[in-house]
Amino acid sequence: MMEYILKNGIVYDPANNIAGEKKDVMFKDGKIVENVSSDAKVLDVTDKIVMPAGIDPHAHVAGPKLVVGRIYRPEDSRKGVVSPNEVCRPESGFSIPSCPATGYRYSRMGYGTVTEAAMPPLEAKHTHEEIMAIPNIDITPLPLFGNNWFVMQYAKEGQIDELAAFISAWLKITKGYGIKIVNPCGTEAWGWGGNVHGIDDPAPYFDVTGREVIRALSQANEMLGLPHSIHVHPNDLGHPGNFPTTVNTLDCVKDIEKNSSVRNQTIHLTHAQFHSYAGTSWRDVESGAEQVADYINKNKHVTCDIGQITLDETTTMTADGPMEFDLHQLNGLKWANKDIELETGSGIVPFIYSGKAPVPSFQWGVGLELFLRIKDPWQVCLTTDHPNAGPFIRYPRIISWLMSAERRQEMMDNLEVRVWSYKRTGLGTLDREYDFNEIATITRAAAAKIYGYQDRGELTPGYNADIAVYDLNPNDIDPSKEPAAIEQAFGNAMYTIKDGQILVKDGEVVKVVPSHTLWTNVQGFEEQEKAVMEKVMPTFRRFYTVKFENYQVQDHFTPNPLITTVQASK
Amino acid sequence: MKTITLTLKKKSQIALEFDELIPDKVFTWEKADFENYQVPVGNRRFPLTDYFDIEVEGTAAGPEEVKMILEGDCGRVKYIGCKMGAGEIIVNGDADLHCGAEMTGGKITVNGDAESYAGREMKGGELEIMGNTREFCGCSYIGDWRGMSGGKIILHGNAGKQLGECLSGGEIYVEGDCDILAGIHMSKGFIQIDGDVTRWPGGQMKNGNVLINGELGMLLEGFVYDEIVRDPVIDGKSFSGKYIKYTGDLAVNGKGGLYLNAEKNRKYL
Repeated sequence: MMEYILKNGIVYDPANNIAGEKKDVMFKDGKIVENVSSDAKVLDVTDKIVMPAGIDPHAHVAGPKLVVGRIYRPEDSRKGVVSPNEVCRPESGFSIPSCPATGYRYSRMGYGTVTEAAMPPLEAKHTHEEIMAIPNIDITPLPLFGNNWFVMQYAKEGQIDELAAFISAWLKITKGYGIKIVNPCGTEAWGWGGNVHGIDDPAPYFDVTGREVIRALSQANEMLGLPHSIHVHPNDLGHPGNFPTTVNTLDCVKDIEKNSSVRNQTIHLTHAQFHSYAGTSWRDVESGAEQVADYINKNKHVTCDIGQITLDETTTMTADGPMEFDLHQLNGLKWANKDIELETGSGIVPFIYSGKAPVPSFQWGVGLELFLRIKDPWQVCLTTDHPNAGPFIRYPRIISWLMSAERRQEMMDNLEVRVWSYKRTGLGTLDREYDFNEIATITRAAAAKIYGYQDRGELTPGYNADIAVYDLNPNDIDPSKEPAAIEQAFGNAMYTIKDGQILVKDGEVVKVVPSHTLWTNVQGFEEQEKAVMEKVMPTFRRFYTVKFENYQVQDHFTPNPLITTVQASK
Repeated sequence: MKTITLTLKKKSQIALEFDELIPDKVFTWEKADFENYQVPVGNRRFPLTDYFDIEVEGTAAGPEEVKMILEGDCGRVKYIGCKMGAGEIIVNGDADLHCGAEMTGGKITVNGDAESYAGREMKGGELEIMGNTREFCGCSYIGDWRGMSGGKIILHGNAGKQLGECLSGGEIYVEGDCDILAGIHMSKGFIQIDGDVTRWPGGQMKNGNVLINGELGMLLEGFVYDEIVRDPVIDGKSFSGKYIKYTGDLAVNGKGGLYLNAEKNRKYL
């Protein structure tokens, strides 16, 4: 393996408190090192921005929803078509790229790790197969538990020990990284044609509430000491007046003690923008971003990602089946719906977030308001909930908005967004501008910390040589006045280096490598797992239409695993 | 004025694609440029001269000064006039799929039949087909809810299924007969069919108007009888005679107009 030295870059490495320091970054055999020999290949990056490679903590990039989305949106697939070249296969799709295109596009932006945030256990095999087809980025799948019949039963009965053993077993069975909760009890209610409204509204039949499910899963998560906290998509997504549900969701686990040294939070709130609305209907809706941000600013057990609207025609896809039906009723566009037996549901609806319309303009404003009001960049991550609020290729544009109050104001003044963006939100009063170190935090270091990654998101010796270089001199550019240059540079990395290999050079993919799959293997819970499986199996056999032997993910579905081993304390 | 004449000399089993040969792109071309051009055939390219004899006369300062004449059976030439914005194309023979797709201006005349998707997603211009066409004339791209949004299609022969699917503007005139589901999902625009219609025009129609001068085989239940109108004016156009007017499709709270020639459709009275 080669030795390299990135010479004279201006380094932003928040985890190591390096905020724009001119220094060399050295790597060898795929790892960051403190020294290299005189044989090292010199990459001159004088006065260019150097950061760890990007980490996306919440996206939908692999699995059956993507395939259904591609099949049922051929009009999206024909956009974003790029011809093949000597290195890359063809690309297609705008909001739902093909698998290879997904890897190329993240890589071009300087990203190296992406979370697939919603893996139904029953569809885990399919998800892993798609992960295999995505090159150049590592993928962290989160299995869904918030509407799982076993989980709801354990939560109802308060059987936390058994739940912890169940989670431990199911992470192995599905090869998943952590616990994802979507509209807890609400998607189960959707099986009965309904929804729940808030965390204290019980699901039919199980008669268990979202509060009970969230608390039980959080307790199990801490009992196991998983590297990531519970990852929550609260009830009431997208409804005016939903911010109290969001705050109640965050507060209901406040007393649960953290049992992990690799992260700070006990709950991660995802796509917070969709969960930060005040008012009672779309007629009188107002931003609840100030209230949600205020809660986050006062509570360190919470982190979030935003789900920023990018003002595009995109595709919504989520396990929140009833919400997707609401969207279809709202915009009249085509709708796909699916029940995942005993586990969850799913819905897909195209959505046009146009700046010419008041509601998307309002949502755009809410997202930016959250970014600007949450004080600690370590508690917030940049996402679009790809593709739900917009495609991930817009991350550089969001960065340009965060770094330029002038550009945000221009969009409001020029009617690129409607008046709701500032009359119904506090965005017009916020002149904060993110600096490069804060951008490096919300796109890299914070996500790595939130996920408990011990090998990436930092330029620490021994860590993976996952590095991005951008063709920007932070001493020359004024991001406030040059938003287009910021967007251009962050969208086309000068170098993307992954595991010490140069995958992108001057915005072009020059090398294609297979992805790795990140999952968590809990050790020390084997006896408890065995006992739980014996109890679970009769119910499994009775209600699932597949045999257990066909349900669990065999090793060949993860040919390139990166396994995080956790020693459970019990 | 520049006249470009391409005379077919060999018909390919695999369709040629002509989306790069539109007046907007070739108005500066001379004969040598066409002779050098390699036309897409499947996933490869072959010299245009393998398939057509080429003649170029005159000069053009812009695409509006171009007339392109395709002589021969172009039944295996796809995307004729696709995305064209100005100029004229005359096909003396048949045309394959997607003729006039995504046109924004200019005129195409097909002196023969046209395959499916003729005039798909038209935004402007005029497409005239002297013969018949098949499914999805004047429709949307597969899966899209936004179809033809402007321009005019004139069909002297018969139309196939789902004529004007997702129509959101423009006009379609069919002098012959039409198969099922004309105007399905349409939200704006006008369709006139002078021949007979098999069944179910205007299914899931939200707005716009469909006028049928021939006999309608079967009316959708979502259309509610309004009244008999005489000599109606519809979208600024005058029609003489008695028409049965319906509103629908109620299945989607539609407010579109469906007009049936009363003489030919007595069974509905």
